[in-house]
Amino acid sequence: MAAETYIDFVFERLPELWLRTGEHLMLTGVSTGMAIILGVPMGILASRVVRLHGPMLGATGILQTIPSLAMLAILLALTGKIGALPAIIALVLYALLPIVRNTSTGIQSVSPAELEAARGIGMTDHQQLWMVKIPLALPVIVAGIRTAAVTGVGIATLSAFIGAGGLGQFINRGLALSNNNLILLGAIPAALLALIVDFSIAAVVWSLQSRRHRHLQPRMQIVVRTLALLLPFLIGIGGVIAYMSRSGSTSKIEDQSHKRKVVIASKNFTEQLILGELMAQLIEQQTDIYVVRRFNLGGTMICHGGLVNGEIDIYAEYTGTGLTAILKKEVLSDPDKAFKVVAREYRNQFDIEWLQPFGFNNTYAITVRKRDAHLHGWEKISDLTSAAPDLRAGFTSEFAERPDGYPGLQKVYGYNFGEVRDLDPTLMYKALAKEEVDVICAFATDGRIAAYDLKPLLDDRGFFPPYYAAPVIRAKMLKAHPEIRDVLAPLSGLLDDVTMQHLNYEVDGKKRSPQDVVSKFLKSHNLLN
Amino acid sequence: MIQLIKVSKSFDGGLSYAVKDLSLDVAEGETVVLLGSSGCGKTTTLKMINRLIEPTSGLISVGGQDVTSQEPVLLRRKIGYVFQEIGLFPHMTIEQNIGIVPKLLGWDKNRRRLRACELLELMGLNPGVFANRYPDELSGGQQQRVGVARALSANPNYLLMDEPFGALDALTRDTLQQELLSLKERLKKTIIFVTHDIFEAITLGDRIAILHEGKLEQIGTKEIVYNHPESQFVAELFSKPAKQLAVFKEIT
Repeated sequence: MAAETYIDFVFERLPELWLRTGEHLMLTGVSTGMAIILGVPMGILASRVVRLHGPMLGATGILQTIPSLAMLAILLALTGKIGALPAIIALVLYALLPIVRNTSTGIQSVSPAELEAARGIGMTDHQQLWMVKIPLALPVIVAGIRTAAVTGVGIATLSAFIGAGGLGQFINRGLALSNNNLILLGAIPAALLALIVDFSIAAVVWSLQSRRHRHLQPRMQIVVRTLALLLPFLIGIGGVIAYMSRSGSTSKIEDQSHKRKVVIASKNFTEQLILGELMAQLIEQQTDIYVVRRFNLGGTMICHGGLVNGEIDIYAEYTGTGLTAILKKEVLSDPDKAFKVVAREYRNQFDIEWLQPFGFNNTYAITVRKRDAHLHGWEKISDLTSAAPDLRAGFTSEFAERPDGYPGLQKVYGYNFGEVRDLDPTLMYKALAKEEVDVICAFATDGRIAAYDLKPLLDDRGFFPPYYAAPVIRAKMLKAHPEIRDVLAPLSGLLDDVTMQHLNYEVDGKKRSPQDVVSKFLKSHNLLN
Repeated sequence: MIQLIKVSKSFDGGLSYAVKDLSLDVAEGETVVLLGSSGCGKTTTLKMINRLIEPTSGLISVGGQDVTSQEPVLLRRKIGYVFQEIGLFPHMTIEQNIGIVPKLLGWDKNRRRLRACELLELMGLNPGVFANRYPDELSGGQQQRVGVARALSANPNYLLMDEPFGALDALTRDTLQQELLSLKERLKKTIIFVTHDIFEAITLGDRIAILHEGKLEQIGTKEIVYNHPESQFVAELFSKPAKQLAVFKEIT
């Protein structure tokens, strides 16, 4: 893309960029602030009570090893919310370790000579702490806060997975749509933000080193030092204001139609964005219900959790996923039976309704490069039997674990691949095309199969369960707005595999926005004026 | 007056004693030097006086008052203490370092500032130059002058000095010893001074108390301990420097 068009691209998104940056600063600022409020006293405690030192550092250390998506899923289960709350809690938990550790080591490394002097001249424990230990440990404590804040800016990009917004929103969307411009639109400001946060805390350090500015006039000193000291707070407050101005405007709309609001969610890949958009546009067009889009959430568990908790009203789920990942049931190869089982169990267990399927079956497809398939005569999955030990497979982590994924495939087809790598679903197609892996677990309707000239192999032993997509909706929402069922009814059976591949390709391959692709599609079927 | 009566200290529940049955009287205005090699219990003795270490048994009184009847923190503020490792606070200016005990005692800022200037002048440091400096901008000798000034800041009657000049070079040490000598003439403080250096003990002590393995070997003026040693240890202690001096004389 030429420089000029990229500038246009950025310029068009400036209002959203401002909003996301504000959200990002709010998330980082609030979480770092809370981590300081919690972590510094914890560090002081750990430095004073020897018995607490190990357990405290151990606990905060373990928190940091929890993968971010798992952390978000756990917090969703605990708080029952998606959005800023679980994101901030996650960020606080991640920020604790450097702050607690630096506070306690900083205090413990105050030299014995100074401590003896403090005691010997008659300071109380409390005075020793506040007049000697903390001031001397301050550079180390601030260094810990600096680490926490800067890594916090990075980790905050993950907040988008749980619908908390931030610059990660652009990155997620960009990854889902394989759109590098969008990824950069999130990544570059995030990197700049990290630098700015780092600089602002460096300014605090500078202002704390009193002897550094002795050359300045006393009055000047006060002004400059106060400014430097307040810099991170000003940046944080700026973020909160930007965030408030946003949520103020949207919450007004949400308040107005408080009773007539539906939250539509999607997972973080193209097809999900398209399905979410399809449902959203139809409801917007044909009812006066206010639609809130919570797209790009980080996977099945977060979407399902949100639906169960009532944070989300509708999203598109797949029968196979509902059956195995949510209900933990055996694979059913009969599509109708599978649909009946999920519909019944969802109603009984979660009070959630399955509407009629869209039509396509987005099951897993073991996929290779078309070139290799021609060369070796591969048509069916069983054709790979002899070559498998020499092939490198790239699977999503979900596929590598699920019983209807690689473990089951190994049993049914009786072979193992030479090497298995975990790949992000948005990256694996490109990885296959670029020969970084030889086999992937593609989704049958993915537009990139055509775009990258790939070949899905025939499932000749009928192993993969059906993955028919259908809207899942909270029963309460359906009762309150029964018209939603009728509004979405035309979508039933409308999208076969090829149509879905085509729509996906419009977005993935041709870089059109899901909104445009969806409205064009709906218009062509006279579902939208 | 500082009085120790049969004071003992064991750090291991009575298996061994760092200080054993030590009795000692220090008169008002007197300087007593605790002399001994490392591990003889002299620093432990000093620290028991302001309760940095609690004695296992025995009685210690300062100014006629049993120290255990006093709040340790308040007791310490009444007794000046000069540390071997100086222990100035690196994040405070010289003025703040000197003013710290007055601050703990609740003096207002002006009074603290005046006191700091007064003491800097007393220690031969120009307040205009040094008051706003930080400890690491001073030489070792200057730092310990500030250390002494800090100990004197609240005008205590008693001064405990724990090998204060031990870390300084010989020339600086000599200068500071001379300064301390004239200081004590003027201030009339009651001082207990710990050292392992015989010459320092002879220079500064009105009386010298020789400690060995936690026990008091002998106490007396320098003439008495030198001319009339009461034990083999004391005799040997003082004969060694005499031999060293003889070597010097051979050279010159």
